[in-house]
Amino acid sequence: MTALILEDVHVEFPIYATQRSFRKALFERATGGRIERNGGAGRRVAVKALNGISLALQDGDRLGLVGHNGAGKSTLLRVMAGVYEPVIGRILASGKITSCFDLLPGLDIEDSGYENIVTAGLLLGMSHAEIEQVIPEIEEFSELGEYLSLPVRTYSSGMLLRLGFALATSVDPGILLLDEGIGAGDARFADRATLRLQSLVDRSRILVLASHSDALIRQWCTKAALLENGQLVEIGPVDEVLATYHARNQAEATRA
Amino acid sequence: MAPTAAAQTLVSPIPGPEPARSVTGMLDRPMSDPPAAPLSKSAARDLWDGLRRPDLWGRLGWLEIKRRYRRTTIGPFWNVISLAVFVVTVGTVGAGLWNQAASQYLPYLTSGMLVWMMISASANESCMLFVANTHLYRNGRFDFSTLAYSLVWRNFIVLLHHLVVYVVVVGILAPHLISPATLLAIPGLALLMINGVWVSLLLGMFCLRFRDVQQLVVSVIQISLFMTPVFWPADQLAAGTARSLFIHFNPLYHAVQVVRAPLLGEAPAAESYVAVILIAVIGSAVAFWAFTRFRKRVAYWS
Repeated sequence: MTALILEDVHVEFPIYATQRSFRKALFERATGGRIERNGGAGRRVAVKALNGISLALQDGDRLGLVGHNGAGKSTLLRVMAGVYEPVIGRILASGKITSCFDLLPGLDIEDSGYENIVTAGLLLGMSHAEIEQVIPEIEEFSELGEYLSLPVRTYSSGMLLRLGFALATSVDPGILLLDEGIGAGDARFADRATLRLQSLVDRSRILVLASHSDALIRQWCTKAALLENGQLVEIGPVDEVLATYHARNQAEATRA
Repeated sequence: MAPTAAAQTLVSPIPGPEPARSVTGMLDRPMSDPPAAPLSKSAARDLWDGLRRPDLWGRLGWLEIKRRYRRTTIGPFWNVISLAVFVVTVGTVGAGLWNQAASQYLPYLTSGMLVWMMISASANESCMLFVANTHLYRNGRFDFSTLAYSLVWRNFIVLLHHLVVYVVVVGILAPHLISPATLLAIPGLALLMINGVWVSLLLGMFCLRFRDVQQLVVSVIQISLFMTPVFWPADQLAAGTARSLFIHFNPLYHAVQVVRAPLLGEAPAAESYVAVILIAVIGSAVAFWAFTRFRKRVAYWS
């Protein structure tokens, strides 16, 4: 049973050595997380990026995260991935968590494509045997041919993207965490990338996708969650949540 | 804390649609995943899981070596040459200064420098352990200990390179120094490497939180090279306060000694073993405490 459960998750980013005036400026910011002082002297400042998030996802759930820039979408994804451990609260998960924040972790441009596949694969938690198994597929999809034996330094950015994308999408995801904007490249590649991403999403048991694109969320998600200032405002069917989101945007625009 | 009732009802068994399984040749995974477990990791778990991935830390360490010597023809041996030149020049001067035969002083200096270079490089690099590797642990769950293991492993490989100088110097000047006691260098090195793990984790976290500590560490290491008998023979220091301060109570002396003495064909004094083991135990305890307490802050500090 694949599941991902968040219980009252709080995340605060400490800020060290901030100027007083800068702190003031931060307090008056319109969007983004809430900034709080810890401790009596107020010497430590922290950005409250997530504030008491609770949600539970199970097999087959496809959740879209919506909200302004700085509302906490990416932070929430990173917390789900286990990069940040919540300051308060906890996260329970069953199933392999796959995140696509960095397509080629541990990238060394002097190493060949093959060597980088191994390094990145190991960092993504694969074994040598598993990496061996996905290499033919990466060769085929990336269409890099002989280039895979050359230093990555010689690749164009599009080629590098193809390599990273091929590797990142070759895994068997249990819980898939996607931040928008993975993919692109030239037109021919973009089409194949979309197909491949679709197949990755289909193979996953739980999907969490942060996106500003209503179309993408409607296409892939069955549920949506609206984040605002690090708080979960609403979670429910995609249409309802998107309606709330747009209504709030409208209200804000008229107020301003 | 148990899962809240609400959360539990939400995940209880309403079977979702079965997604298509991968047809891409990945290893078959068990169809039923284990029950939901907390995502957070304990320090002990991190240390253990990290250790069980020699493929990962071995590769990270090896890549760093490769990176350092890339596009050079003789690669790592530049370092070896500079050590050789250093030993011969400083060794000749030192032999004169301390009225020693070159055949006695040069092996002493070489083996001392070998160990010292491993210790100082490990300490200096420890400061960058988390600072320089943020890109490795911003992706998901990560066993931070793999970074420490890779650091120790990499410095061990560097030491193996430097060993060439030792073999040449001792082979030419004093082959009689190589004896069964030389094998004691192996447990000595093992002790140093165990110490390397806690030092790198502790310094790594400390320097991540307080970025200026690195300069302090560099200076301390530099100064200690002169206060520790590496250039000068330990018996040149007259008995007294200075001797006990710079030798008996100098942890770095004992650390050097557990490897240097065997390389010079002697068994290290029991005192040195006791000191190094004691440092390993106390240091590991402190580092473990700090790692338990601050492990989850590492991602926030970076």
